Amino acid sequence: MAPIYNTSRHLKALYISPLFVALVCLAFCSRLSRMKAASICTNSQTGCHFLSLANLFDRVIHHSARMHGISNDLHSEFELYFLPSKNRVSRNCHTSTILTPNGKENAQRIAREELTEVILKLLLAWRDPLWHFHQNMARHHKFNNLSSNKSLEMSEMVHELRKGVQKVAEKMQMLGIISNSLGTLGSREALLASDSPEWRLMNDYNLLYCFRRDSNKIQNYLKILKCRIVPEHGC
Amino acid sequence: MMRNVGGVIVLSLLLVFVQLAAGESFSPPGTPKNIICRSPEKETFTCWWEPGSDGGLPTTYALYYRKENSDTVYECPDYKTAGKNSCFFNKNDTSIWVTYNITVVATNALGRAFSDPVEIDVVYIVMPNPPEEVTVTVIEDTNWPFLRVSWEPPEKADTRSGWITLIYELRIKLENEDEWEVHPAGQQKVFNIFSLRPDSTYHVQVRCKPDHGFWSEWSGTTFVKVPDYFPRERSMWILIAVFAAFIILTFTFIWLSYMKIHNLKHYVLPPVPGPKIKGFDKKALKNGKFEDIFSSLVVSDFPPTTSNYEDFIVENLEVFVPEEQELIMEDSKDLQDDSIKSENSTCDNDSGRGSCDSHTLLIDKGGGDKEEALQSDQEGSQDERVPTSPEEVMEEDLLACCDEKNSPDISEKVKFTPSLISPLPRYNLMNQPNPPEIGKKHCLSDSLLNPDSLPSYFTQPPSTKNDFRSNPWECNFNHKQHPLHPQTTGKEHLQVQNEISWVHVDRTEASLGVQAPSVRSTEYVEVQRVSGGNMVLLHPVSAGQENSGTMSHQTEHYSRVKTVNNDSGLLLLQKESTGEEMGICLSEEEVESRATSNGYTASITPTSEKPMVGINSTLPILDDRMASGYVDTATMFGLPTY
Repeated sequence: MAPIYNTSRHLKALYISPLFVALVCLAFCSRLSRMKAASICTNSQTGCHFLSLANLFDRVIHHSARMHGISNDLHSEFELYFLPSKNRVSRNCHTSTILTPNGKENAQRIAREELTEVILKLLLAWRDPLWHFHQNMARHHKFNNLSSNKSLEMSEMVHELRKGVQKVAEKMQMLGIISNSLGTLGSREALLASDSPEWRLMNDYNLLYCFRRDSNKIQNYLKILKCRIVPEHGC
Repeated sequence: MMRNVGGVIVLSLLLVFVQLAAGESFSPPGTPKNIICRSPEKETFTCWWEPGSDGGLPTTYALYYRKENSDTVYECPDYKTAGKNSCFFNKNDTSIWVTYNITVVATNALGRAFSDPVEIDVVYIVMPNPPEEVTVTVIEDTNWPFLRVSWEPPEKADTRSGWITLIYELRIKLENEDEWEVHPAGQQKVFNIFSLRPDSTYHVQVRCKPDHGFWSEWSGTTFVKVPDYFPRERSMWILIAVFAAFIILTFTFIWLSYMKIHNLKHYVLPPVPGPKIKGFDKKALKNGKFEDIFSSLVVSDFPPTTSNYEDFIVENLEVFVPEEQELIMEDSKDLQDDSIKSENSTCDNDSGRGSCDSHTLLIDKGGGDKEEALQSDQEGSQDERVPTSPEEVMEEDLLACCDEKNSPDISEKVKFTPSLISPLPRYNLMNQPNPPEIGKKHCLSDSLLNPDSLPSYFTQPPSTKNDFRSNPWECNFNHKQHPLHPQTTGKEHLQVQNEISWVHVDRTEASLGVQAPSVRSTEYVEVQRVSGGNMVLLHPVSAGQENSGTMSHQTEHYSRVKTVNNDSGLLLLQKESTGEEMGICLSEEEVESRATSNGYTASITPTSEKPMVGINSTLPILDDRMASGYVDTATMFGLPTY
């Protein structure tokens, strides 16, 4: 009797496990859909979670901090394993054409719209170079797995962060904090920057160095913007 | 003119020669080293360098820098503000996110020295000042005070505008300790510290760091004194109470397991003492023989003929063997008496049963020297053994051991378990027939005794002085009933020691043949308990021995012990010795008591474990002594053999 009993149990397990898996999938999918609904939230849609501007700012600031951390790690690793020559090549970051405030007073003096625009420009300018950088690393196996994952994550983060900052800008425009002159300007200049072939001339080390600096700029500008617009939360 | 120039040249040459003569040498300066640049607020920065050897000549230092992607060389704008060998860049000269290429040049009369260039970006060299306004307060709202530490960011660092983000860290230690306890505090400016030691002083320090930069120096120490408080933690007391209760319960269980239930029952609920009237025969009352009853009330020796009122002292069990009784005992061998009652020294005639029974009343004489057997009564002759099935069998078993050693008369086996022996000053021993009886636990338990069952066990001597046949176990046998019955003038002091199982029997008895009631000699009967807890080996000690006990035994007595009842009554019948020395049966199951010429019988009631105990003395009972009491072997302890 015992073997029969066991087989029946096995059969039961066979029948039950797909059901179980299906249930789990349903639960997950519902959650995912809910999350997606929350993330793809336009102004007119109902049922969205209302995120305050301060909350949005916190999210993008965290995002940019993480992006800067990854770029810092990659740069240190590159400096460790691929020692550049002592005679350092002058760094010509392709984003040097974008005018950015290089001091506190300058950053505080600049208008909010301009600051937001600078951020967006920077983010857009780095989208393609990072993608190619990751492709380059992956193809030539120059990095180990961990670093290769980081480069991929870095390139994706630039993409995500740009969208996030766009959301913040839209919200600010909706709230009347900034004027609506933002959209067109940023894209034009950014397109120019991304089209310039300068970034292809950069070697890997320069690229990482430049991006590390630019991600720091982005993070700092976002903080300044937040403390200027919504100063009550942690400034 | 020429002279001036020449003088200068001569002077310089002299200088050189003098210095050369003095042993010094001039050289170009050494290269400056360790250029360190720091910015306190990410708006200005300062660079310091270490000068090399100056080569013996006055050396000047200059700092030159280039900005990123520019070849323009600038010199340090400010050598003074930051002290010696430093260069301070103010706000106008500082650009963030711009790489500076800095070089320090040392110059003296003989040459120049260039330091290694250093590339810095101000963003990554930020080292703020320590946090300011560190305040520590003791919050005493609850029973458990705690510390609240609060601080402010350094004044120069602009965190309000979001230009710099600082994270903090604090550390604390007791005043007399060396180790600091470090707590990261994130971006908050308030921190609580709990679990303080009362009545002690703490040192607190705070420092900060920008998200990419260096830690600041620790702030100045802030001292705080925690007041003395007594923590009233309810849960702690509950825990202590539970733990103590657990320990107490454990010990109680251990104690209970050692105590036998029987003893515990007696300890908690002492039995109610029954009435004890000396010489009163309840059985006779039931039988309706008034003359017997009243005759029993007449105590021959009441008022006591002897002057030994110490007999009534509970201290010892004394067996009186008056002269005439002894003679009678010798003469009437067929007289048998049973009923030995030996009581604990603390028992007397009037004491309740419980006091007799309580094992705590057993006296510990503390000496191994004293081995005394209690023999209180005469013993029945074996001839009169009436076979009774279970008891007889028991007796047979008991007797089996000693057969070879003893004369048939002597083979007695006394088996009893530890019990109390309550001495009585006087008792009449009644001869009982041989079959051992189950010792009765208590003297006057009429209910225990079934008078109907008795007759089968007893054969009264034809002299029928055994009017007590029906109740041989009466405690208060009146030996007046048997005027012919010999009575022991000796007093037996029976002292049973608990656990050591010493039975001390002090017997003072008159010497044989010369019967002055006042003359008494103490005889000791040693009860040896071989082992097993149920056997008592009676080994009488020769007269003259004191209670202090010597080991010499000149005479040995055999006594017959009859068990009284199921409840561990053991009746030792004292037998008159024939003068022979009988081997003492040392088997573990046997206890022999040998009767001396006086013939003592001791009744010892065994415990309930061995309901059947019986000793039959082989010697005829010469005494008619009746134990007014008997040994209650409720708790009988083994007596060591010797």
